[in-house]
This record gives sequence, C-alpha cells and structure tokens, in this order.
Amino acid sequence: MGGATAGRPRGFSVAWRRHKEALVLIAPGALVLVLAFLFPVGHILVLGFLGEEGVSLEHYAAFFVDDYYLGVVGRTFRLAFVITACCLLVGFPLAYLAARVGPRARILLILLVILPLMTSVVIRTFGWLVVLGPGGVLSDFLQAIGLTGAPTGLLHTETGIVIAMVQVLLPFMVLTVLGVLQRQSADLEEAARTMGASFWRVLRTVTLPLSVPGIVSGSLIVFALSISSFITPTLVGGVRLPVLAGSIYQAATGSFDWNFAGVQSTLLLLTALAVIIPYASLMRRRTSWQTGAAPGAGHE
Amino acid sequence: MGRLHGTLGVALAALLVPAIAVAQEKTLIINSFGGSYEEHHRRLVIEPFEKEFGVRVEVVTAYSGDTLAQLRAQKENPQFDVVHLSGGLETIAATDGLLAPIKPEELSNYGDMYPFAVAGIEDGIGPMYSTAAIGLLYNTEMVKTPPTSWKDLMQPELGSHLLVTDAASNTYGMLAMLMMNQVNGGDLGDVTPGLDFVKQLLDNGATVVSKSPEIQQNFAQGTAWIAAYAQDYAFTLTSAGLPVKFVQPSEGAAFAPITVNLVAGRPNRDLAVKFIDFSIRAEASAGWAEALRYSPTNRTVELSDELAAEVIYGEEAVAKLVGFDPVQIGESRGEWNEAWKRALTK
Repeated sequence: MGGATAGRPRGFSVAWRRHKEALVLIAPGALVLVLAFLFPVGHILVLGFLGEEGVSLEHYAAFFVDDYYLGVVGRTFRLAFVITACCLLVGFPLAYLAARVGPRARILLILLVILPLMTSVVIRTFGWLVVLGPGGVLSDFLQAIGLTGAPTGLLHTETGIVIAMVQVLLPFMVLTVLGVLQRQSADLEEAARTMGASFWRVLRTVTLPLSVPGIVSGSLIVFALSISSFITPTLVGGVRLPVLAGSIYQAATGSFDWNFAGVQSTLLLLTALAVIIPYASLMRRRTSWQTGAAPGAGHE
Repeated sequence: MGRLHGTLGVALAALLVPAIAVAQEKTLIINSFGGSYEEHHRRLVIEPFEKEFGVRVEVVTAYSGDTLAQLRAQKENPQFDVVHLSGGLETIAATDGLLAPIKPEELSNYGDMYPFAVAGIEDGIGPMYSTAAIGLLYNTEMVKTPPTSWKDLMQPELGSHLLVTDAASNTYGMLAMLMMNQVNGGDLGDVTPGLDFVKQLLDNGATVVSKSPEIQQNFAQGTAWIAAYAQDYAFTLTSAGLPVKFVQPSEGAAFAPITVNLVAGRPNRDLAVKFIDFSIRAEASAGWAEALRYSPTNRTVELSDELAAEVIYGEEAVAKLVGFDPVQIGESRGEWNEAWKRALTK
C-alpha cells in the first residue's frame, strides 16, 4: 500500500523529468488557449442554460419554437452550401491547373490565390460594397450594356453575399486541394491517357477519386468558415438578410441578451462539430486504408 | 543641526505624503466616442477641465454600447468614473444600478438647463450635455418640394430613393421608427402602426441601412434622396460637399439624449460630479453646436443666426422636440427589435 501511494508522485516526477522541455514549451500556448478560448467559450455555453431562476432550457425553447430564427439558420446553411459548391467549382480547376503547370507558373498562380489573404476581410468586403452597390462598377456596367435602365446592384441580395464570400474563402479551397493534387503522381494520369482514356475520363476516374480527401477537407473548411462568418454577410447582405453569426452579434450587442446569444453560439458550435467530427473519423479510416494499400497500388 | 534636518525632513515628508496621495487620486477615467468627436471633446471639455482643476483625465475610447457592456462586466469593480452614453443606454445602465444619482444642488449649471435635459439625474441618469434631433434629411437638388411631415416618406415616386435606418442596431433608426409609429397613431405600447408604415416603405422600394457611413455612401452615389436620420449627420454630409438639408417635420423631431453620467461605486465622486457640471456649462454646449451641430441643452447658450438655423435652438423649437419615455424604451426595446427584424427580413 505504502509503496503504491509513494509510487504515484514518483511517477509524476519521472514524467515531469522526462517531458520537462515539452511541458515548458507547451505551457504559454496552453495558458493562452485556456484563458482566451476555453474560459470564454465555456462561459458562453453556460449562459445559454441560465434562466431567471437557475438552470433552465427556456432560451433553447425560445429559439426552436421561433420561425424567424429557424429561418435564419436555414439561410445560413443554404448560403454555406452554395458558397462551398461555388468555391469547389472555381477552386478545383484552379488547383488542378496550379498542380500541373511548371514551377514558375505555379508560384504565380499560388501567389494570385493567397494575395487577397494579405488584406483584411473587412477591407475586401468594403471593396465589394463599392463594386456591388447601386452606382457601383457592376451597376454602371449593366447600365452601359443596356441590361438595366436605372442604377441597380447586388448589394443586399443573397447572390451578392455568395459572390463576396466565395472570393474571401476561395484560397482555403484551392490550397487544400492543391496539396492533395501535388502528392498525386502525374504518372497515373499519363498511364490512363496512354491506355486511351480521354481527358475527361481520366479526370472522372483517376484524378477526382484520388482528390477526394482534399476536396472533402477543403469543402469542410470553407463550410465551417462560411456558417460562422459574420462581417461579409452582414455588410453585403444588410439587415434584411440575417445569418446566424450576425444574429449572435445582434443579440449580444443590440439587445444585450447574452443568454440568447449563448444559445445561438452553442448551436453554431454544435453544427460545426457535427460536420467536422464525422469527417475527421472518416479521414482517419481513409488514411489508414491508404497507407495500408499504398505500396501495392504504387507498384501496380 | 542633524536633529533639525531630521525634523525638517519628517515635516517635509509629512507635507509631501498627502500631496502624493492627492495627486494619485486626482485622475479621472472617462470614455469618449473616438475620432473627431473625441478631438472636440478634448478641446471643449476635457482639456479645459484638466487645466482648471489641475487634474488628469484619462480617456478610453468606447462607444455607448461597448461602454455599457464594460460597465456591466466591471460591476463589482468599476473602472470608469464618468461615462458618456447616448440613445437611452444611460437609462438601462441606471436601471441596472451601474450609475449613481446626482442632486440638483450639486450642479451649479442645473438652473440653466432645459428641464428635459436634467429630468433623470436623481435616478442616476446623468444630464444631457447635448442632443441629436432626429428628423428628415433630403437632397436639395433632387427633391423639388422639401418634405414637411413624416408621412411625406410615403410617396410612391420616392421608391428606392428612400433610406430607412435599422431600428434594431441603430438608436437614431429606432427613434425614427417611433416617430413614424406616433404619426400613424401608435404609441410606445403598440408599435404595429409604425412597423406597418415601414413595411409599406420597403414595398415601395426603400433601402435599409444600419450604419451612418452607408447613408453618406448612398447620398454621395446619388441613389438616396431622403433619409430619416439625425441633424448632426446632415452637417457631416454638407461638410463632405453634399447638397443635403435637415427638416424638423411638422409633427416634431425626436431627440436622442447624449449624457454624461456618474458611475456608481467609485472613490472620487466629488471630482466626477465637478466634471459632469463642467460638461453641461453653456460654453461646452455652444461648442458642440458649433463643431458638430448637436442641439444645445443649456438654455443660456447664445448662437449666431446661421448656426441657430442648423440646430434645434430656442424655447419654441425645443418645445417641439418629441421625447420618448426612456424607461419604457428600455423595457420594450428587446421586443421591438424582435418585431422589427421580423417585419424586415425577406
């Protein structure tokens, strides 16, 4: 007995001695994470369950019986799906091109894709306000080619939100897909072509299936960023097209209803996790399958 | 000799210690709203106050909403001595016990103020050192017959050239909505007439904006001709070279309070009250009118005719200002916000 109780602290001190450097190195990061992330997020999770008298589900009930908020959630997800699909449609060909051209052209393409990331999303969104707004470039263009007679624009429309968001999130898709495409051996495609497959058939049966991990992971990043983004939908969409993140901001700073903001934040977090966790486990299974199968496949 | 020096030293120290203690005490922590507003604030109030009372004023830049959020978070251990709030948030803060009452006799300028500007001081709502009038702004080049009534917004030919300001996120927008509600037969207990009016404006093609710069953008691009908004913002637009004029409609303009408040639970109450008194003196009130076209709340203010025409000035004009019960606004605002969002959302 005595030996067992004495063993525990010794075990700890052994662990400490063995991992001292690692523990010291991780401490500042862990501290920041606890103070700036876990603590506030935990606080918000708790707020959603606090009623007038102790623990209560009243704020959740208020959310789920309300057509308005369900509509906000509906718009948020609808937009996120469309944005993700558009990012994929635009991003995959771009990534494919970047992966198959020479190194110099690739750097140029990558630079073009990540250059917008160097600018704040707020600044880029303000740019879109000028372009999409009435009396803006788009409006002038439509008038010049005679499509519309009066100043018009895509400001305060869902189309406008999608256009601006795709521009903001495209780099995440392109870079993720590019990473996977670059690891693919071009020999596989060439082999398929020599066997007489057309470009499209190769794309469909070789390139695309092998790119699935990149496509899935890029889509998830874009989707998660899209449902939680706030600045661009709020500025481009305006108050008549509320999304979930904007609604949280409004509840916290407009109505000072922190409990309700907590409910909405928790639901946003849960939906993001509901998308990410199955993906993570799927990817783990896939990776183990690939590493298991890879040597054989490589030699075929 | 040695002993004398020692005694002198002790005496000096005894004199200095309280002086140091006082010097440490005499720092006042306040908020201001940033940008050019804060520059004028320093020039009109903060710097003259520091000079006159030999104290230091530390300014934290924070808008009303952020300030209220900070006050709430710091409830047990407040960090501000005096806070400037606007648009009814002072009433919410006072109701929450975050602000402390002031007695009329503590303010030497009390008697010079319009009664509405000091009505709440004994409940913790600080005096209004200026107000913003909410009426109609119009483009003088595009609008042939200037609007005279809130109901003039309902001209179908105005269509998409009308701007409605978001009432949920913008206090000026909320006051404009309450005015539209009032002229259509509603009251603070029932804002449905106002919301129905706004819905019709939207059906006519009106655009909803939520922040002041959007109003400027729309006026500058020539797409907006009329907006229900604040008088001081009309001045911002004319200063930017836009042909804009403000009218106080026949039914009156609503006023948005801009208040200077005493924070509860701070040690240097006396100095804070002096600062508040200093903020509402006639020179400051006149200075705000001149610099940013906020309407004076001190009735002894003398303005030139030109300036007087660009603010709400004089007993007669002030009598036409419409005030809404801030307590009831505080109680109902959440409900209105919900109803407003539902009326607007496509």
